Amino acid sequence: MTGPLLDIQNYRLDIATFDGPVHVLKDINLTVNRGDTLGIVGESGSGKTVLVRSVLGIGPKASKVVEGKIAFDGQDITALPEKDWTKIRGIRISMIFQDPMTYLNPLFTIGQQISDVIAAHEKAAGHGVSLKTTRRARTVELLDQVGLPNPAMLFDQYPHQLSGGMRQRVLIAMALSGKPDLLIADEPTTALDVTVQAQVLDLINSLVEKLNLTVIMISHDIGAIATIAKRCAVMYKGEIVEQGLTADILSAPKHEYTRRLLAAVPDIDTAATKVAAQPAVAEPAKPGVLLEAIGLKKVYRSQSGTEVTAVNSINLSVATGEIFGVVGESGSGKSTLARMLLRLIEPTSGDIIFDGRNISGLTGEPLRLMRRHMQFVFQNPHSALNGRHTIGDAIGEPLRIQTSMSRRDIEARVEALLDIVQLPKMFKYRYPHELSGGQKQRICIARAIALNPRLLILDEPTSALDISVQAQVLDFLQELRAELDLTYVFISHNLAVIRQICDRTIVMKRGEIVEQGETETLFLSPQHEYTKALIESGRKTSRAANLSAPAVS
Amino acid sequence: MLAFAFRKVLTLVGTMIGIAALTFVITNVAPGDPARLVAGPNATEDMVTTIRTEYGLDKSLPEQFVVYMGDLVTGDLGQSIVTTRPVLEEVLRYAPATLELVFVAMAIGIIVGVPLGMLSAVYKDGPIDHITRIFSISGVALPAFWFGIILQLTFAVDLGWLPVSGRLPLVTRPPETVTGLLLVDSLLAGRLDTFWTALRHIILPAIVLSFPCLASILRVNRAEMIEVLQSDYIVAARAHGIASFRIVAIYALKNALLPTLAMIGLRFGWMLGSTVLVETVFDWPGIGLYAVSSALSSDFKPVIGVTLVIGFFFIVANTLVDLAYAWIDPRLRSA
Repeated sequence: MTGPLLDIQNYRLDIATFDGPVHVLKDINLTVNRGDTLGIVGESGSGKTVLVRSVLGIGPKASKVVEGKIAFDGQDITALPEKDWTKIRGIRISMIFQDPMTYLNPLFTIGQQISDVIAAHEKAAGHGVSLKTTRRARTVELLDQVGLPNPAMLFDQYPHQLSGGMRQRVLIAMALSGKPDLLIADEPTTALDVTVQAQVLDLINSLVEKLNLTVIMISHDIGAIATIAKRCAVMYKGEIVEQGLTADILSAPKHEYTRRLLAAVPDIDTAATKVAAQPAVAEPAKPGVLLEAIGLKKVYRSQSGTEVTAVNSINLSVATGEIFGVVGESGSGKSTLARMLLRLIEPTSGDIIFDGRNISGLTGEPLRLMRRHMQFVFQNPHSALNGRHTIGDAIGEPLRIQTSMSRRDIEARVEALLDIVQLPKMFKYRYPHELSGGQKQRICIARAIALNPRLLILDEPTSALDISVQAQVLDFLQELRAELDLTYVFISHNLAVIRQICDRTIVMKRGEIVEQGETETLFLSPQHEYTKALIESGRKTSRAANLSAPAVS
Repeated sequence: MLAFAFRKVLTLVGTMIGIAALTFVITNVAPGDPARLVAGPNATEDMVTTIRTEYGLDKSLPEQFVVYMGDLVTGDLGQSIVTTRPVLEEVLRYAPATLELVFVAMAIGIIVGVPLGMLSAVYKDGPIDHITRIFSISGVALPAFWFGIILQLTFAVDLGWLPVSGRLPLVTRPPETVTGLLLVDSLLAGRLDTFWTALRHIILPAIVLSFPCLASILRVNRAEMIEVLQSDYIVAARAHGIASFRIVAIYALKNALLPTLAMIGLRFGWMLGSTVLVETVFDWPGIGLYAVSSALSSDFKPVIGVTLVIGFFFIVANTLVDLAYAWIDPRLRSA
């Protein structure tokens, strides 16, 4: 076979909106040859998902191809009728998706979903649907191929019974069922834990080799791209601003945007510059312990009576003025811990001591008043703001609830807070949907500091944000702490971020602290196996992405 | 799953006791002396006292409650003052007609409402969607008595296609009672002509009764389908090459059906309560008519009896909905 497998030429796509057409893709030229591994990097809204979905004919409904064409294996598929797609979708081109939970139908068994895909392919190929048992055997074989244990048993299980990593493997098995020529992976590791990310990337790599797959992988995580893709394209605002060999782009980025993007990627192997300067600021001011947890425990009991210990007898103490990191994978109990520290979740047992006062027994008014000293910033700023309230309402809310300030004073304070988070005053009249993710997170932070709290608990404050925005928000958080004399409890699954900003860190696994200490010591000489594994998996993608960064000894 | 079902049935019993207690409280809160009411305006003080003793009204409230609950457990709903027959017997005689009407109306609501909701979701903002929207708004807005009369005038009086009212003509010998549902009994007896006659009688009242229910099932199912069709797993199913019809009719519908089921359960109870109007318009011999005539003659025992029976069926229907939920959604089974 000559010619490229996928050839996109001068492709332009508009999406119709109330305010007229939006140019989502501009002049895209992209060629993928058989056996290629191509990565597409870009931030949310850069058009990368729309682009790959167009390749499968499942782009947004209101979209219109203005110019150009997409050819797959010599065939123009730009305006293919729906019935011809059945011979391509899932069979010749297939796709794996970002969030393996939401991309599997919750009401059907794993086996049924994969067998259905197989049946659909057989129908499309024209040679009748095979027997149920044959399809079952093929499904089990596929599940086995993606490294899932006990595939025969998995067949009858439902998605919710599987872990995130297993679900992603199921989706990969589904995508492989048609023996595709081209596999498109849309952010396949973004929703997964660090250690699982590494495993899934390994799996994709091994499949590429074994099945001689052609892969297009899109991600905002340049590290993940670097571990898979030999070639790479950088998308920015609907355009491909740079493409070439991944190694070249990483070591010598040409476009301004690429350079910015690479600079923003935190490096797990770089010690934060601010850590050294930090103690000098914090210690003389107010030494001592601000927050302490003693034997904190949370047990959840399901309706059927089984008990799950989410957090098991945790002891910790956070010094005044420090950034205290909590790192762990999903299910390690870090969010439960964070919420218990604020008594948003009631601990099963144990004490929480804030500023020398035991707050675990507080109820009613005293508890409410205590809350003004400790505030929470949530992971997803998009859902943490009420879409029907203006930004001014959102920031002013704690003031209305906790103080007896007049309307005018609240207005003034809201403006001052917007100033602190470096946003224009006029933003108070806007609504959340008019703001970007980074701006929304700043609003959430403004709301959290409205009452001059002494402690902020930040639960993965940057993981819903793009990388360049993440860098800005992290910098901003550090400035803010110095300015307002704050103490942070900072929760993250991202080790590079933790290393960048935390003074001391605890590593959590299955509700327990497996290791704790100074962040730098933790990274330089981890003692516990789990910490080592976490750092190792994090390093895999981080290293790949930081080829260009100056080596740090 | 079995444990889940068992828990649901336990809840059912609990709720039933609650309803019984509530009806007891309501009848005792209501103003007026029931004994005097029963005795009539010209009764002497002696007669009132006799009646009071006879009905156990001279005992303390807690005692009365124990007696009342005890009677309920043994199936004794008391006696109708007007007909002097046991209320249970009368309710059992009238209930099948109402249930039959509600079942048929519900069937129409589901069979028409669910697919129409699906269609208008798939062709959102298209002609089908607009037509079903008009349809569903009028379904909620039209008063049942008016709509019933219009249907009677059109299809029974003017066109003469269907009978005006009643359940069976007087001349038709009803089939042997097995379930009490004429449609079922006539089939069991192998009498197709009676089945046909009964069906022709039930069509108009069932349509009137089903209309608001159909409208809300349609709306809920449409809204759910629209949401589900945008979900990630539907995009994934398309990407994997599953046929569009299968995606909509199986993958999406099963997910959209959960909230629709909840609506069906609620509407079932609502229908039982609102048969009164429809039964009046179509002279349908059900418990709605029975309750109205009893209430008008201050005959409280039958009213309480009907309340309990409707409550019972409502709870049973919703327990079935809960079980169907668990049957459809595997995540609920393990909870």
